[in-house]
Formats: sequence, C-alpha cells, structure tokens
Amino acid sequence: MNTLGSEERDALKDSVRRLMSDASTEAAVRTVMETDTGYDAAVWKTLGEMGVVGLMVDEEHGGSGFGPLELEAVMEEAGAALLCSPLLASGVLAAELLNQLGDEALNERLLPRIATGDCIASVVLTGDSGCWTQQGVAVSAKQDGDSWVLQGRGSYVLHGQNAEVLVVVAKTDDGFAAFEVDPSAPSVTVAPLPTFDRTLRLASVDFDDARAVQVEARQPVWQAVKRTLDLALVALAGQQVGGTQKVLDFTVEYAKARVQFGRNIGSFQAIKHMAADLLLETESAISAARYAASCLAESSEKADEAISLAAFACADAYVKTTADSIQMHGGIAFTWEHPAHLYLRAARSSAQLFGGSNHHRENYLTAMGG
Amino acid sequence: MTTSVNDETLREEVRQWLSENWAREIADELESEAPTHYTASPALRSWLGKVFDARWSAPRWPEEWFGRGLSNDQAKIVEREFAKVKAPGTGQDRVNLWANTLLAQGQPGLKEKLVGPLLKSEVNMCLLYSEPGAGSDLAGIRTRADLQGDEYIVNGQKVWTSGATTADYGMLIARTDWDVPKHDGISFFFCPMKQPGVEVRPLRQITDESHFNEVFLSNAVVPAENLLGKPGSGWRVLNTALAYERSVMGETARGSRGGTGLGLGAVTEAQPLIALAREAGRLDEPHLRQQVAQTISYRRLNALNTARAKADLAQGTSSSIMSLGKLAMSRILHEEARLRTEILGAESMLEGEDYPQAVDANFLSLNAYFTSIGGGTDQIQRNIIGERVLGLPKEPEVDKTIAFRDVKTGVGSG
Repeated sequence: MNTLGSEERDALKDSVRRLMSDASTEAAVRTVMETDTGYDAAVWKTLGEMGVVGLMVDEEHGGSGFGPLELEAVMEEAGAALLCSPLLASGVLAAELLNQLGDEALNERLLPRIATGDCIASVVLTGDSGCWTQQGVAVSAKQDGDSWVLQGRGSYVLHGQNAEVLVVVAKTDDGFAAFEVDPSAPSVTVAPLPTFDRTLRLASVDFDDARAVQVEARQPVWQAVKRTLDLALVALAGQQVGGTQKVLDFTVEYAKARVQFGRNIGSFQAIKHMAADLLLETESAISAARYAASCLAESSEKADEAISLAAFACADAYVKTTADSIQMHGGIAFTWEHPAHLYLRAARSSAQLFGGSNHHRENYLTAMGG
Repeated sequence: MTTSVNDETLREEVRQWLSENWAREIADELESEAPTHYTASPALRSWLGKVFDARWSAPRWPEEWFGRGLSNDQAKIVEREFAKVKAPGTGQDRVNLWANTLLAQGQPGLKEKLVGPLLKSEVNMCLLYSEPGAGSDLAGIRTRADLQGDEYIVNGQKVWTSGATTADYGMLIARTDWDVPKHDGISFFFCPMKQPGVEVRPLRQITDESHFNEVFLSNAVVPAENLLGKPGSGWRVLNTALAYERSVMGETARGSRGGTGLGLGAVTEAQPLIALAREAGRLDEPHLRQQVAQTISYRRLNALNTARAKADLAQGTSSSIMSLGKLAMSRILHEEARLRTEILGAESMLEGEDYPQAVDANFLSLNAYFTSIGGGTDQIQRNIIGERVLGLPKEPEVDKTIAFRDVKTGVGSG
C-alpha cells in the first residue's frame, strides 16, 4: 500500500476538489441525478484517468495502490460536491472485496478494468432486511456438479443497475462464499429501486437458480466482507464529513448575508448558537473520520472501535447539520431549488447505508469491551 | 548563564542540577501534603525557593528578573527535564498568572517587591473580578476605586473568589471613571487582602462545598503604586491576564471532589460508564447500551479533536478546534452525570457513605455546572465561537458607547 505524506494527500484532495468544481457543480448534480444511470460517463472517465476510481486497486493491477487515508480525503471532496458516481460501489466495495478475496486470475481480469472505470462492478451483500450483517444475507448458493446455482434476493445494491459484474456474497451449507455473476445472464433480474436521495443509485437483484462462478478466497469470506465493510465505512464517513462541512459553510455564509429586523440573522443568538453547536458536531465528525482512516491504515487494534465511532458520529453529524441548516435558512431552504434538501436527502440515506447509527453504537460498545 | 548556551550543554546542566537537588524525599513529601490550589505547602515553598535560586523558575525571562533569557525552544528543554522527574517549578514565565501579569504591567516598586516572592509562591493570590451584577458581562462591574492622595479607596462586592481567605493580594478590577463607556473606566490593581476594609465570607455551593467566597470591600485601601497599567486601561490588562489564566487552565484539570476519594477514582476500568452499568446489572439493556456508547463517544470525540488541533498546530496551521473544548466538556460532564443517574435509578435518591455511586452521580450532576457556567457560560461560549470562529456578526450592544453611569441595571446587582 502506498501512503502519501499529508502534503501530497492535500494535493490529491485539491485535484479532486478542482475537478468537482468543474464537473460536479450543483447544476450538474441536478441534471445527472435525474438520468437513468445516475452518473456522468465523461466525469467517470476522468475520475478513472486521474486514478481516483483505482485508488484502492494496487499498482500491479493498474491502480494507484493507496490506502484508507487517501480514500477518506478524496471522499470528503466527493461528499462536499454530492458527486453522482459509482465510486463507492465499484472503486471501494467491489475493488476491496476482490482485493480481500484475492482470487488472482479473477483480479487480473477485473481489477485493471475496474481501476480505469471501464468496468463498473458492485457487490450484492444484504437483502430486503437492509442489514449489512451475516443475518442480512438473503442469497443462498448450492453446488450443482462443477458449478454453483444462486437462489434468493439481494437488495440495496449500489449502482446495481449500472454494473457489468456483480460480486455476490451468498450462504452455502459451509458458511459464506463469494461468486462472480454476470447481471445480464438468464435467471438474474436487476431492478432499479426508487431512491429518496436522487444522487444515489440502488437496485435489487433476484437470482432464480442463476449459474455463478465461485471466487477463490484466500481468507474466510465473511472476514473479507467485514474488512471490505470497514473500508466502505471509512469512505462513507469521509463522504459524510465532506457534505457536513459544506453545508455548515453555506449556512454560515447565509446567516451573514440574510437581513431581517434590520440585522444580519447571524447576529441573533438563536441562530448563532445553532451554528456554534454545528461547528462542534462538524469538527468532531471530521476528527472521527480521519482517525478511523488512520487506524485502518495502520491496522491498529483500535480500528474496530474507531470505525464504529466514525460510522455513527459522522452519520449523525451529517443528518443534524443538514436538518438544522434548513431550519436556519427558513423558507428559502424549503424550496426545491435550494441545495439544502439535496444534502439532507444524502445525509438521511447515507445514515442507513451499511447499517444505522444504533447498529454502529452497539458495535462501538462491544469493541470497547462493554 | 548566557543566552547563547547550546542545547546539549543546557540539557546537561538541568539534568545535573536536578540530580543533585531533586531528591525522592522531596517528591514524596510534596505528594503526601494535602494539595490545595491557593497556598503552597512549606515543602513546596522550600523546593520552589531552590528552583528560584538556581534561576530555573522563569528561564525565558531576563537575568534582571531572575531568568536566563532563554529562547522558547531552550526553555522547553528545561521544562522537559523537570517533567521527566516530575519536578514542579519551572516554566512559570509561561503559566504563572500573577507573576506574568505583574511583570508585564506593574510599576517598578511593586515588581521589585513581589515578582520574586510570586515565583517562590511566598505570597498567596486571589482574583477579584466577578460581581453579583457583573457575571457574563464582566465589564459591567460597579466596584469603585477613588483616588485620594496616593491611595485608592475601594468600595464594592466581589464574588466567586477562590482562595480569598488565605490570599495576601487580590488582582482587582474596579471602576475609576464613571463618565466614559464601560470598558474605558476600569482600572486593575493588586489589592492587599489582609486589612480591615476587606471582609471574606465563604459561599456555600449547590454541591454543599465551599470553594468560593464573597469579598466585601468597604473603604479598602490600595496604594497607588499597586495600579497595573494606566488608570482606565484595566480592561486591557484583564484580557492579558485572562489569556494567561486560560493557558494555565488548559494544562490543569479539576478533578471531582479534591482528594476525598469519592470521585471517579474508585472505578479503575477504562470506561467508568461501562463498569457502572455492568455493576448495576444493566449492561444488557439495549436502550442503556445506546446511551452508554453515545456518551462515551462525546469524550472520545473531544480527545480526537484536541489531538487534531495539536497536530494542526505542530504543522504550523492554527486551529479553531481548541475553542470548542469548553463547550464539548460541558456536554460531556452533564451527559455523563445524567447517564450515571439513569443507570443507578432509584438509588440516586439516596446519599451518604453507604451509597457512594449515588453520591458520585449526584455530585457530578451538580458539579457539571461548574464547567457550563464557570469561566463563561455555554451561551457566552457559543457567542464567542459564532463570532470569533465562524465570523458571525455581534449582537448590537446598547451600552457600549454611553457613559457607564447611564447604563441600565437590573436584578441581582447586589
């Protein structure tokens, strides 16, 4: 794994921010979020060329070979700009699960194309329960001669409708196994799910005795899944704090500019105190996200605790900041044309993706020995 | 003893001196003495005297003022060596509120008289700032100081004064001009405490402790040479002093019930809340587990913020995160105490030595206000964060530009 110094990491972050300021403006987001695919193919290509899509793919497979610190930094910018893309689906979840499973032949075939963005991959993990836990897996696999047959329904599959390849985690008689599935194959039905956050793309995937190829795994599959989810949670925390910071910034700017009763509304303590509280939430969330990234990068024994903490602290901070932002703006932010609701939608949805805050608080307490 | 000593020589000199002077017996003696914040024990005084004689008390200060004229970096070398053996007394050029304020703002006679003794903790000090009518709005003080000949005659009432019973001097702000706006008519003094015009009465807190006093000033006499700064510049002197105070507060933490062993000391597990819930047999209750996790996270997040602020600072970028610490700590203390109470349930209605957990929970619930009110309420702190960090405009101040004698007063003004 390559680890950048903090200055180089800032430079990487800056380059993504510059791209976002061109390619993921509010106008662009509003256009792209109403399309079927939910991403801009040209921007996705640029992200691939910049090495952002392949951030987590190692260099021998054509990626940048970076780690959680770099990913978290990049995701802050993506989150701030509400970037509509399959980055989390393909560049994080699928790429990392393949890394963790370590099927060399498969990785040689897929990872280079995932790294460039040429191939969009996604992971089928949970089912209709929406629990990203062992109990949540609702696809089962049975061996049929040399091959395998999948039965059941996966759901909340990120960018499932855009995926060329699905990596499916399924229950077998001997625990969990992972499979490579072509979503266009017969007996596989991918259906887009209508999403509250329009920058998000989710799909359900039904398997009706679908043929699948088992992925060789060099570690227990659930362990690979757990490590993949750890990275995905760090990425999501980065995305959330990027959004949180952005919302706080534009809310404070509005409070300085908006005049009522002959005064800037930011001079009223009713508004000022809300802003001060949000700053505490925002800074705490940033600390939590970056700390989780560094713990994961160092494989620290504190990683479980730190990632769970970041998962609920960042999700809750994002929801609170976006919700309070609308209240602080007043009527203007109740209109569709104001961006606040786009962030509120993203915050509310991201707070459920990969498990809700209660789930993460429970894991946090358990990790501390409680 | 020159400003151009090299680092290695200096480090060797401190080590040598400490190895010759800092004996285990002194450490033990200091530890065995009941710690109080406001008076130094005989053993501590004796040690501070040695530190002073060897010019380690304030190594950044010039030789004229008992220092060595060292750079900040070199003074830190001295501080590190003292810290290694846990010896107190150096670095007072950074943290001794009283000596720093006096040296920067005092008149020559008073400095000659007190800077040395302050470095040796031979004189005890207290703060005469807040008044019944001037809490959050400290510049609204109404204690008056009137110049008569070469003395100021002081009348008024101060409150929240720690250490007033033992103090030799109080750092006093009083109004010397009532015809100018409130910030412009304040002067700053070293007020002698042991005189007939000064009466100290202990204040009973909601915790049933008495850490603070009321101080009644009735024709108290302050020599004119005890004025710091110029007449009317007291607000500026005060702000310099407050900056020192904050830096000291940043390095020390107030524990629960000083030294009685009733506080958190009884619980040795890393997470006292987990231990408490387990002990109460309630660690398996899902709604409590959520609250325990959430409450622990507040303290953890604050620690992560502090670590990030320090890292930012080390990289040379200033950080606004530090200003959030006090607000964060208020929430931590109130929430921890609330949750302790919830975990204990009905037992929290009881008191006394048979119910130490209840005593802790109730004490901590009440004492949390020490942080959320003391040193500026949370609401004032939110104003400061909103205005200084986020750059939001101030509320209009109706009393800022009018003569103080025309400023409105209300209830609670004593």
